[in-house]
Amino acid sequence: MRNKFVIGLAVAVGLFVSGPLFAHHGGAVYDTGKKVPLKGTVKEWVYVNPHCLLILDVKGEDGQVVQWIAETQPPTSVFPLGYRKDSFKAGDQVTITVEPLKNGRPYGRILQAVLANGKTLGNVPGAAAAPEAGTAQQP
Amino acid sequence: MRNPNIVLMVGLVVAALGFSPDTLAQNSSAGGWLAPDFHKPPLRDENRKPAPRRSLAGTWHPADGPGAGTQAGGVQLKPNNGRPENQLPYTPYGLEVYRSHKALEGVDAVLPVEHNDPRNFCEPLGVARYNHYNVRLTQIFQDDYKVVILYQYDNRWRIIWTDGRELPKVVDGGVEISGDGREQRFLGYSVGRWVDDYTLEVQTVGTMPEDRVWLDATGRPISDKARLTETFRRLDYDTMEWSETIDDPKVYTRPWETMKLPMRLHDPRTDIMEYYCSPLEQEKYNKLFGNAASGK
Repeated sequence: MRNKFVIGLAVAVGLFVSGPLFAHHGGAVYDTGKKVPLKGTVKEWVYVNPHCLLILDVKGEDGQVVQWIAETQPPTSVFPLGYRKDSFKAGDQVTITVEPLKNGRPYGRILQAVLANGKTLGNVPGAAAAPEAGTAQQP
Repeated sequence: MRNPNIVLMVGLVVAALGFSPDTLAQNSSAGGWLAPDFHKPPLRDENRKPAPRRSLAGTWHPADGPGAGTQAGGVQLKPNNGRPENQLPYTPYGLEVYRSHKALEGVDAVLPVEHNDPRNFCEPLGVARYNHYNVRLTQIFQDDYKVVILYQYDNRWRIIWTDGRELPKVVDGGVEISGDGREQRFLGYSVGRWVDDYTLEVQTVGTMPEDRVWLDATGRPISDKARLTETFRRLDYDTMEWSETIDDPKVYTRPWETMKLPMRLHDPRTDIMEYYCSPLEQEKYNKLFGNAASGK
């Protein structure tokens, strides 16, 4: 019985780790056109290829803190838009608008960001103004 | 006698007006590290300068701004959006190869867990796809024998020989140069000639086979029998048109034009950010974001 469990677990783990090593996604994973405003505390800003990542703790209406991770384009793409390696620092209070994933998980791509110093950064040139930021909607 | 304090204050005000932080920012090159300028004035008769003869040298960027050379949805002139005018003339084999390419972009994009795009394994893209993926700040250097293109994406470089050497002959599995069998190359073998003082025509053969490289991010194929013809046409001092036609009878029934990209000259001192494909950074990205986006 125990051997069958171990074998089953090994198979499950194997299935989990199999598949393409790199799952860099395409644009089809996003809920295109949907905008989610997020106000939260920066945990980390990862300024690297293939995409920059902002890790944000967002308190929901129920008081629960949810970690969101929002991506932008790579550094060379967002540099002209004002994004810098030090645009976000741990502890900063920021407001971002994201286009969320279709799968409902707390991930998305940044459409616009308002930094701790009040400066607004866009993700796409000419992006529409973000809606009034509020607390996060629970995924 | 003038009040020296007033003189000092006036002087300080005048100095502040002349050297405001904004002025300093515009005139300063941040210690010499110029950022790209994507707000250049349009070219008109009064500010257009003549093209130098037989020169493509410079730091170039797609004239329509950031993103104009990204081509995420497929080659510039034929994006893979399902529209009839963008359908390609596949051979039966070419269509079979296209369907075997599970791409993350385009009308036939698959779920992230299903892709097999070599790009995401940081494989070299191949000469054609470097022209069709994230064409950004592109440096061109040249001497009497060659023109060298430095692509920003993945910091790759490519040599186009202009010294009159012959284009290699394509044979199965590679090329032949003076009777010697030579290997296939990701950047191929490129030979260029000046058709006039402002137009360089480049032929490239000897590229990698269709199971190693794609033509674009949507999985369109390019085979090792492809012949690429590029034209670099210097229109004036600040602009150049970069065109490409692919002739690949293994996967397409006829030649077709992939791009006609207007390029604008940038300051040669412009800092060019790295844009490497790093397996470690890809892995970190996937752990933090990509796997969640893929549904893992």
